[in-house]
This record gives sequence, structure tokens and C-alpha cells, in this order.
Amino acid sequence: MPYVTPEEMVAIRLSLKVAFWAMMASMPFGVAVAFVLARYHFWGKTFLNVLVHLPLILPPVVTGYALLLLFGRHGPLGSVLADVFGVTIAFRWQGAAVAAAVMGFPLLVRATRLSIEAIDQRLESAAATLGARPSAVFATITLPLAMPGIMAGMILCFGKALGEFGATITFVSSIPGETRTLPAAIYTLLQTPGGDPAALRLIIVSVFISFAALLFSELLARRIMRRMVVA
Amino acid sequence: MAGVLSLLIVFCLAWQWPAQAEDHITVFAASSLQTALDDAIKAFREHGGGTIVASYAGSSALAKQIEQGAPADIFISADTDWMDYLDGKGLIDSKSRRDFWSNDLVLIAPKGHLPAIDLKSGVDLSSALNGGLFAVANMQSVPAGRYARAALLALDAFSSVGNHFVEVENVRLALALVARGETPLGIVYKTDALAEPGVAIVATFPKDSYPRILYPGALVKRNGAGGSADAFSRNFLSFLQSPVVRSIFARRGFQVLD
Repeated sequence: MPYVTPEEMVAIRLSLKVAFWAMMASMPFGVAVAFVLARYHFWGKTFLNVLVHLPLILPPVVTGYALLLLFGRHGPLGSVLADVFGVTIAFRWQGAAVAAAVMGFPLLVRATRLSIEAIDQRLESAAATLGARPSAVFATITLPLAMPGIMAGMILCFGKALGEFGATITFVSSIPGETRTLPAAIYTLLQTPGGDPAALRLIIVSVFISFAALLFSELLARRIMRRMVVA
Repeated sequence: MAGVLSLLIVFCLAWQWPAQAEDHITVFAASSLQTALDDAIKAFREHGGGTIVASYAGSSALAKQIEQGAPADIFISADTDWMDYLDGKGLIDSKSRRDFWSNDLVLIAPKGHLPAIDLKSGVDLSSALNGGLFAVANMQSVPAGRYARAALLALDAFSSVGNHFVEVENVRLALALVARGETPLGIVYKTDALAEPGVAIVATFPKDSYPRILYPGALVKRNGAGGSADAFSRNFLSFLQSPVVRSIFARRGFQVLD
């Protein structure tokens, strides 16, 4: 890795922090939604599926503005969070994580849903006939078998969170050390006289991190394929 | 699989999170102040004043963000309109408000591609553009764009650019477009042109062709803030009037106001 200045390091660390928490926050909801979508048929399923995928298709600035309306100082959720819990997320790094989590959510759900659908349900039935409660079946059969897909989804979500720009800058602006993630830092440097070498350094770092995340995801996808062939 | 997960967690936790330094204040400042204000912030730290985090963008974007609750302690706008906007909403401490600097408006071109243009009434910019685009900050909202529009209208030159304007979200982006040779002409502040070696000043707009450029700065009122942060912010605002900062801004081409 080329030499990076302390200011650039702040942006890199902040980006990793935001992406990490976005991924962790998305995971429980993502797995739950993926399970529901993979296993159940119910009224409004198509609507739920559309809703989950909306951040993937909507212009990110729309998602960011919607988050600002919801979580801003006058927003229905933002005012409750501020008054009841004393928590503000708009223009804070936590807000950047929320924006990134929302943007990465569809990727997480897609990958997880595919791997849940690939599970041989006879294994679950066998466990159930042997006396396992539904929760035990889920924890010992479904979840471990779906793990490769969940992991791949989490890594994709992490990668997406790392690169999120439009929704983030709309929702939380670009404040150094607080909300200026890698893409925002690069964008700022491109407008700074003499900023090109620093921008290039951060671009190299971004390529490196994205490459590593994709490689992880690819290896995991291959494991799923092998498992499906065995099954 | 669990190995990968734990590896990821360890990897992430091993990085010390950026310390949420409590002993800093945040300044929201117009893009055109970036170079000079960064110098002033460095000087402030060297004088033992403490750490300032600066966020630069078009004054319009910053004012809107402050309105939405962004954690700014100080706002410095590139025009009086956006400061008035926040003042009117009761979001700044009016008593702390003062005008710090003034600036000039210039027409710029990429270095080495300097057309000869005399900025007087009725000037035709289309031949110098030669089909290329004209870089300005957004003419509806961003101060630099509003000054540019006023100046072009006053000189009766607005229509000679026609539909060749490319409007960007802050003046430094317009500067970057010209510096990279993407657009043959642009309008920025004189201090922007001086900060960027890739551009040269074609001509300076006559002072009477646009409203006087002023940079008002003020403390932002924040819920729950006050106390030490407030004293810190006031300290920095008064530091901006010190001889050290006055000479930094004068050197960068600003007119320092009394």
C-alpha cells in the first residue's frame, strides 16, 4: 500500500467502521427477510420483495433524502430518537452506517435467499421427525447450511457499504472524521487544487478493499456450488 | 466459515476506530475558503488553540445541512443571503456575526489556452468558448454562481454563453473543470484562481457588475452545546481577526475587512 497521510487514514478507518456496522446491522434483518421470502407464501410477498430491492434501483439521492426526512431533526423517527433516547444519527457516522446498511440490504437478502432455497428441506423434516423443535431445526440445520450464502451476502453488503456515496452524502454530508468516508474523501480531493495524488492513493486503497471483498464472496459462492453438487 | 467471520471481526476491531475527539469544533465554510482557512486552522493549532474540523461545500448546501441539524459550531458563508437565511430561522448567534473578508470575481481559462477577452458591456464569449462549456457554480443557489450570473447579466454577456453553461455544486468544482481543461472558460473567485496552478485569469469582472462579495461568519446555535465548545468557537472566531490570520488571507488574495 502506498504511503497514506493521517487524514487519509481517518477516512479509510471511518469507511471500514461504517461498512462493518452497516453489515452487522443488516445481517439479522436480512437473514429474517430472506428466510421469509424463501419459505413462505403470503399476501403481500411481492410487495415485500419489491420494497427490499427498492434501494438497489432507486437513485441513491432519493434514498438519502428519504432517510433525512425520516431521521432528520424534524423527522418522525429522528425526533423520537432525539427526544426519547437522546440519539441523533443524521450527520453522524451512525447515520452513514444506516444509509450504507439500507443500500447493502438487497444484496444481503438476495444471496441469503438463494442459499436458503438451495437447502434440501428433507433434512429439516428429518430433524423434525427426530423431535427437534422448529427453533432447533433452524439453528442446527437451516442456518449452518445457509451460512455460505449469508457470508457471501454480508461481504457484498460490506462492499456496497464501503462504496456508498449518493445516499450517504445526502443524509449525513461529508464531515472529516465523522461522515467523510472513502468515496466522499476522494470526491473532495478531486475538487482540491493539488489533491490528485492523494485522490489516487485513496483510489488504490478502494480498489484493494473492493477486490478483497469480491474475492471472498467469489470463494464462498464456489463453496455453495460444490455443496449443491454434493447434495 | 466461522473463521472468515471472526477474521473479519478481528480485522475490523484491530483498527482503532477514529477517536471521537471531544476537544474539537466543526466549521462549515464556503468552498472558496478552503486553502486559506486550512492554513488558518493549522496556525490556530500551532498557537495551542486546539483542533478544528472543517467541512467545505457550497454555502447553500452547508446552510441547508445546518438547518437539518448538522453538527456545525461555526458557519462561514460566501454571501450574506445564506447567512441571512439561517439568521432568519434563528439558527445562528446574530451577535457573533461579522464580515471577515471580501473577494473578486474573475474569468479563468486553462493555463496556456488564454483567450484575449475584454470584460466590458456587450462582450461576446461564444467565440472563446468555441463550442465548449462554461463552468460556473449553480446560478440559482451557490453564491459564486449567483455572483457570476449577476455579472454576466450586467455586462449583457449572459446570452452569448447561451445553453453552454455547466453548473456545478460549488466553485471549486468549476475551478477543477477548467484546470483539467474540460471547459475552456469558467468563473470563480480571484482567490480560487490563485490557488490553482492549472488555470490563469483571463480578466477580472468590474466591481460594479455584481453585488459585493462578503464572507460573513457566525456561531451556530446548537441544542445542548454551549459551555466549553462555545468558548472554543468564540476563541476561533476572534483568532480569525488576528494579525496572523489576516496576513494568511491577504497572502491568498482576499481583501481582509476591518
